[in-house]
This record gives sequence, structure tokens and C-alpha cells, in this order.
Amino acid sequence: MILVPQLGLFFWSSVIFLIFFFILRKFAWKPIIAMLKEREESISQSLQQAEKAREEMAKLQADNEKLLNEARHEREKMLKEAAQARDEMITKARTEAATAAAKEMEKAKVQIESEKMAALITVKNEAGMIALEIAEKVLRRELAAGAEKEVLAKKLVAELNNN
Amino acid sequence: MIKKVLLLAAACVLSLCIMRATPPEGEEGEKFNASEVILHHILDSHDWHITDIPAGKENGKTQYTPIALHLPWILYSSRDGLKFYGSTHALEADGKFGLDHHGSVYAKKIGATHAPTTETAHDSTHTTTEAHHVEDMDESVSVLDFSITKTALQIILVGLIMVLVFTSVARGYVRNRGKAPSGLQSFFELIIIFVRDFSKEYLGDKHEKFLPYQLTLFFFIWFSNLLGLTPLNSNIAGNISVTAALAVLSFILINVNGSKDYWKHIFAAPGVPKPMLVLLTPVELLGIFTKPFALAIRLFANIVAGHFMVLSLISLIFLLGDNGRNVAGASGGAVLGIAFAIVIFCLEMLVAVVQAYIFTLLTTVFISMAVESHDDHHHETHKVLDTEVNRDLRLSDFNAH
Repeated sequence: MILVPQLGLFFWSSVIFLIFFFILRKFAWKPIIAMLKEREESISQSLQQAEKAREEMAKLQADNEKLLNEARHEREKMLKEAAQARDEMITKARTEAATAAAKEMEKAKVQIESEKMAALITVKNEAGMIALEIAEKVLRRELAAGAEKEVLAKKLVAELNNN
Repeated sequence: MIKKVLLLAAACVLSLCIMRATPPEGEEGEKFNASEVILHHILDSHDWHITDIPAGKENGKTQYTPIALHLPWILYSSRDGLKFYGSTHALEADGKFGLDHHGSVYAKKIGATHAPTTETAHDSTHTTTEAHHVEDMDESVSVLDFSITKTALQIILVGLIMVLVFTSVARGYVRNRGKAPSGLQSFFELIIIFVRDFSKEYLGDKHEKFLPYQLTLFFFIWFSNLLGLTPLNSNIAGNISVTAALAVLSFILINVNGSKDYWKHIFAAPGVPKPMLVLLTPVELLGIFTKPFALAIRLFANIVAGHFMVLSLISLIFLLGDNGRNVAGASGGAVLGIAFAIVIFCLEMLVAVVQAYIFTLLTTVFISMAVESHDDHHHETHKVLDTEVNRDLRLSDFNAH
């Protein structure tokens, strides 16, 4: 009895099961499965995005590091260059100043020399003029007194030498 | 934990009450017939019997008033066509049909209906009535019983519970869209995903087509088994008609979706010499039917065995108590019986879900074998199937001990 299937119950079990299967499929399983799928997709997508963001972050960080390094490098280079330029400028200024000074000196020397020469020439001229004057005076005295003329001449020459 | 044990104990005590609800019919002092009571509990019936209340004594016999929900009879016979009766009493009063000692319906000879005695008609143990039944049976008339029985009603109940639970779960998904699941939804999500995962494992991309069926099957068997463990309810999956219905549905699903390779494997297995096919094809053809057959028997046997055990242990109380006359024996039986019954009950809770899992998993495996269109995967599936079946058999053995 327990092992004999009954047609009525068999029929009703099949029918009821199928009815509830269709109801559940439409109102429960399909929405649930769709939602589960949607959520899983969104989770995997989020994870992917997070991974991507992390990668990008790492890349940005690397870029930053690189930029910073470059900047540091640049600064060092600039400082170096500035120091060099300063040194150069200083030495250049120095040499320029030195050459300028030397030039001035040379100029001064030349001027001094020329002044000296001019002075000498004037002195010579003066001396010449004085000699001429003396000679004139001597000549005039000779004409006046012969004896005195020698003494006078010697006196004049001594005067001249003193000058 | 203590709370749960108490709950289980309460459940057992309640089921004890139901036991008392079906006193052995007849005089007091008559021997308690355990097998009859157990069978009565396990078999389907045409009314939902809740309890009997004593209604005074009459001629030294305690009279009982049954409290039961009468379920309708729907009969189709070649003589009377479709017939409806509101209850068993109405059926018997009409006189066109009678019930044999199994409770099965048969058509009475029209001429023999002059004295329908409703008192004795359902007295199954009375030998004279049996003889009377055989006498008035009209053998030329076949009767088909399409009644909504207790089990059918319980299947509807399980279906309604499922609709209630899973539409609520589906609403949870709408409500918690883009958020974490909550409440009922988070509990069932685990199980739904569990089912989906093994479905995906066996069926790959094709799993979505079969998933609604698998989910319905799994939860239907599980819920039925759990409901069957509660007092007042019948063991749905412990009824061969129900498991047969499920197996037939699975059988149809498997074979409707059979691929070319599947049928080729049955009628002309590749690599087998032509003469051997004469032997092999019938075996393979038989295999199509043995698979669902095994499904039906396995589920039925497991559930029925559990109920048998619990009921037998509870029957100990009445057997040792000599049906109410030996109080000491009854208390001893109660302690012993309830202690063991609780253990079996816990085991049955496990079996409830394990059998649902096995039925669904094997259906999935059979579908995957039928759907597959590459021979190279075949052996793999066979191997997997073998291990599954072995595990299942081990579990069944465990249950049987």
C-alpha cells in the first residue's frame, strides 16, 4: 500500500508543483537571479575600477616622484650654474678691472712722459732763451768792458746751472 | 542550544499528542497495534485528522469525537462520470461507492446499495464488512480517485509558503538594490547561491535555463520535509506518489533537453561494435528510466524511514505502558522513546536538507549528462556522478541504521 503510487495524488502533485514552479519562476527566481547577477557584476566592476584607480594612483605617484626628482635636479643644476656664473662674472670683473687699471696706468705713464718731455723742452727752451739773453748781455757788456765780461759770464753760467 | 533542545522536546511531546489522537479503534484494553498506527500516520488520507476528544462512555466503551478537516472526494468512474463528495461520510451515504480496508475507493453494485451502513463502512478491522465489501463491488466499473487529499493539501501549503517566502526575498532584492542583503533575504541568498553554484559547476553557461526548476525542486523538497517533521502535518516526500511526480518531471526535463550526443550514446554508443549494441542499447534505454526511478525511491525511502523511526520510538511509550495500564512502563518508555526520538528528529532535520540537495544535485547531473554535446566531457561527468552516488548511498546507509 505504501509502495503503490496513487494516480490522483501523483496527478495533483505534478499539477500543483508545476503551478507553483511557474509562479515562483516569474515572481521570485527570475528577479532574484537577475538581481544577484546585477549585484555580482557591479561588485566585480567596482573591484576592477578600484584596481584601475590604484594603478593610476601608483602611476601618478611615480610621476610625481619623477617630477620632484627632476625639479631637484634642475635646482641643483641652476644653483651650480649660478655659482659658476657668479665666479665667472667676478673673475671677468677682476680681469677687466685689472686691464682697465693697467691701461689707465699706461695712459698716465705716457702722459707723464709727454708732460715731462714738454717740460724738458720748455726748460730747454727757457735755458736756450736764458743763454741767448745771457749771451746778449755778455755781448753788450763786451762792448762796454772787456774785463768784466769773463766774470760776468762765469757768474751767469753758474746761475744757469743753479737753475 | 538549551532553547532548541526544549523546542525539539516540545515538538516531540506534541507529536505524542497526535499519536494519542488516533486511539486504536475498538474496545479499551485492546492491544496497541504499533504498525497500524504508524502506517496510518505515514499514509495519505481523505481528511486532515487533528485529534479525537473523549465524549463519554457508552456500554463500557469510550466514545471519541474526531476533530478533523474533511477533504473533498473527486472521483471519475466509467459508470457515473465525475463525482464530487464533500467528505467521506457523504461518499458513503451516497451508496454508489465504498471503501475497502486500505481506504481505497471502489464502485458498488447499484443493486447492493439498499443498506449502506455508515457505522461499519469505515470500520477497517471488521472482518464481516470486508467480506461485505468484496461482495458488493462492481468489478466492471473502474474508479479513478482524483481527490484533494491531505498530502495534496499540504503540497499546496508548501507551495504557498514558498511563494510567500520567496516573493518576500525578491522584494528584499528590490528594496536593498545596490546594498547589502538583509533579513530573510540574506539567509536564503546563501542557499540560492549554493544551488546556483553547483548548477553552474555542472551545466556551465546553460545553468540559467534550469536554475528556476532546480531552486523550486530544492526548496520544495526541503520545505516539505521540514513541514513533515512538524506536528499535524503529513510527510509529503514520504509519499511515493509525490516523489514519483517529481521524478517524472525531472525525467521529462532531462530527456526533452537531451542533445544529439546523448541520444547517440544511448542508441549507438561510439566505439562499440555493432553486435554489442543489441545488448547495450536496451541497457542504456533502461538507464533512462532507472535514474528518475532511483530518485523517487531514494527520497521516499529516506523520509519514510525517518518517520517510521520517530513513530516507532514514540510507540514504545504505549507498548511498554501496555496501552495505559502500566504507568511505570509508560514513563520508562517515554524517557527512552523521547530521548531517542530527539536524536532521530535532529538527524531528520539534516536528512531533510540532504535529501533535497541530493535530489536536486542528481537531477542537475543527469541534465548535464543529457545536455552535453562533447564526448570528452562525458567520462568526467560519469566519474563525478559515481562519487556523488556513492556519497549519497553512504548517507542513505547512515540514515537506515
